[in-house]
Amino acid sequence: MNNNSVLFEEDFKIKGWDFTNAGEASLKIKNYLKEVGIAENILKRVAITSYEAEMNIVLYAKEGTINFKVTPKKVLLEVKDRGPGIEDVELAMKEGYSTATEEIRNMGFGAGMGLPNIKKNADMFVIKSEPGKGTKLNIEVYLK
Amino acid sequence: MKRNPDKYFHSIEIVEEKCIGCTICMKVCPTQAIRVKNEVAVTIPERCIDCGECIRVCPQNAIIPLTTEYQDLKKFKYTVALPSPVLYSQFGPDVMPNDILLALKKIGFDDVYDQAWSCEVISKAIELFLEDKKHYRRPIISSTCPAVVRLIQIRFPSLLDLIVPVEYPRELSAKEIKSKITDKLKIPEKDIGLIHITPCPAKMISIYEPPTREKSHLDGAIAIKDIYGALLNALKDVTDSETILQRSGGIGIGWAISGGEVKGLKFENCLAVSGVKDTIRILEDVESGILSGIEFLECLVCPGGCIRGPLTVQNPHIARTRIEKLIKMFGEKSRVNEEKVKKLYKKGYFFFKKRIDAAPVMPLSKDPSEAIRILKRREEVLKELPGKDCGACGAPDCRTFAEDVAKGIALIDECVFRIIQKAEVKHKM
Ligand SMILES: Nc1ncnc2c1ncn2[C@@H]1O[C@H](COP(=O)(O)OP(=O)(O)O)[C@@H](O)[C@H]1O
Ligand code: SF4
Ligand SMILES: [Mg+2]
Repeated sequence: MNNNSVLFEEDFKIKGWDFTNAGEASLKIKNYLKEVGIAENILKRVAITSYEAEMNIVLYAKEGTINFKVTPKKVLLEVKDRGPGIEDVELAMKEGYSTATEEIRNMGFGAGMGLPNIKKNADMFVIKSEPGKGTKLNIEVYLK
Repeated sequence: MKRNPDKYFHSIEIVEEKCIGCTICMKVCPTQAIRVKNEVAVTIPERCIDCGECIRVCPQNAIIPLTTEYQDLKKFKYTVALPSPVLYSQFGPDVMPNDILLALKKIGFDDVYDQAWSCEVISKAIELFLEDKKHYRRPIISSTCPAVVRLIQIRFPSLLDLIVPVEYPRELSAKEIKSKITDKLKIPEKDIGLIHITPCPAKMISIYEPPTREKSHLDGAIAIKDIYGALLNALKDVTDSETILQRSGGIGIGWAISGGEVKGLKFENCLAVSGVKDTIRILEDVESGILSGIEFLECLVCPGGCIRGPLTVQNPHIARTRIEKLIKMFGEKSRVNEEKVKKLYKKGYFFFKKRIDAAPVMPLSKDPSEAIRILKRREEVLKELPGKDCGACGAPDCRTFAEDVAKGIALIDECVFRIIQKAEVKHKM
């Protein structure tokens, strides 16, 4: 089998400010991985990264998608949104940096650890953002 | 009591003769462990967590708990009752815990042990553990509810290390009393029956196949509802001038309700969750690493806690109010001698005898490529199903049915909507 061949793939639609379904896509992703018997430590790393990326769409963007792929070597997430984008990506990547409103903080979000945690848990992480248009994250977690 | 011949012991049995295959139990089962085949409900033993949800809803009374029967006590020369604190919530407002303990002796137990006392001791032991393991992963999870332990074994094996390795109250009570009695009475161990008085069948798994030790100190568990009538009668003859058997205060008694266990701890960041759905949801969050700042997590599969156990009698809201009243009455100050508990803790007295094993049911196959094949096939099949989750196929919902099809244990044409569709097509031709 080719190392890049896609074993399983699924797309998820995420809506901004939709708290009824917030976190559902990440839960499904985690459970797919559990169902195919992926090791616990990898499972957890994917779960954290997908959750943080999903919540950032819910909290900051209008709408977005998560494309989830499993290949023999890795788990890939491509997270895209239509939204305000990020002016200063370098600043957003800093631990503790957050533009979350009082309202969001009261809900228990906005610690400014989302993007840093994605970076910490991913084996490969690229973030691209165009202010006024949206943000795109590419995340990879290697299986071995 | 009968032993279930399945690989895993279960405390629940479906009586085929009574079951009419109505699908009600299948629909409520939180782990999708029931199917209806040939108009009879059958369980998938690997998936069952013994929560008893099915017992609650069966309109035919066809699902029975495999708890110890009253007659079974005859085989012992000496019996001791160890009542769950829930028992204290089951009677009228004037009936005190001590009266209930006395009544247990009147209905035939040779001795009783106030299990709520062990709850109080364990609250201290858990505190010591949390201090001792300050830098360990969090949250530490309660070991009290056997259905929760089973749930973690099958669905959240990565969380097994978080379960507090401190013996649960019924086991600790039994351990305490066993050593005392065998010395004092000079009766062989096999002739002593230590019987838990239980609000749920789930306790039976921790007695017959304890995940934490080779053998339980307990010899059985009788359902609260099975001795309720006898206790009501006996209570009439209890006079309050008799012996004091109650040792526990409000902390121990409080374990009967959701939030009671964490209330006994001095730590602030504790969380109490009850009900199977909410328990699964919170465990998902713990597993995903997105629940932070919680020191200790109490989970009970019965909504509101053990007072809502499937084998209780009293209305759970009245029962909760009663427990709250008793907590006030006996005070929220621990009655335990901390120094004594510390000494025992250091000796390892409270700890499990072995690690709890995983029994994962999530991987669709042991072979990863086969698991992927099943997963893909399930998603394909799911797209062809109507999504009505009607249950007529014998599976609880379309997704589970699709999975059964993908695994080759069901046929897609068993879906009634497909049967109807086919008939319509034929008709038009
Ligand atoms: N998808 C996104 N669209 C717009 N802004 C974003 C997005 N993701 C992150 N940000 C910005 O980056 C900041 C830091 O994000 P993060 O590290 O996840 O912390 P937090 O969400 O707690 O603020 C956010 O406060 C927000 O201003
Ligand atoms: S919550 Fe209590 S009564 Fe219900 S199953 Fe668990 S231990 Fe038994
Ligand atoms: Mg964030």
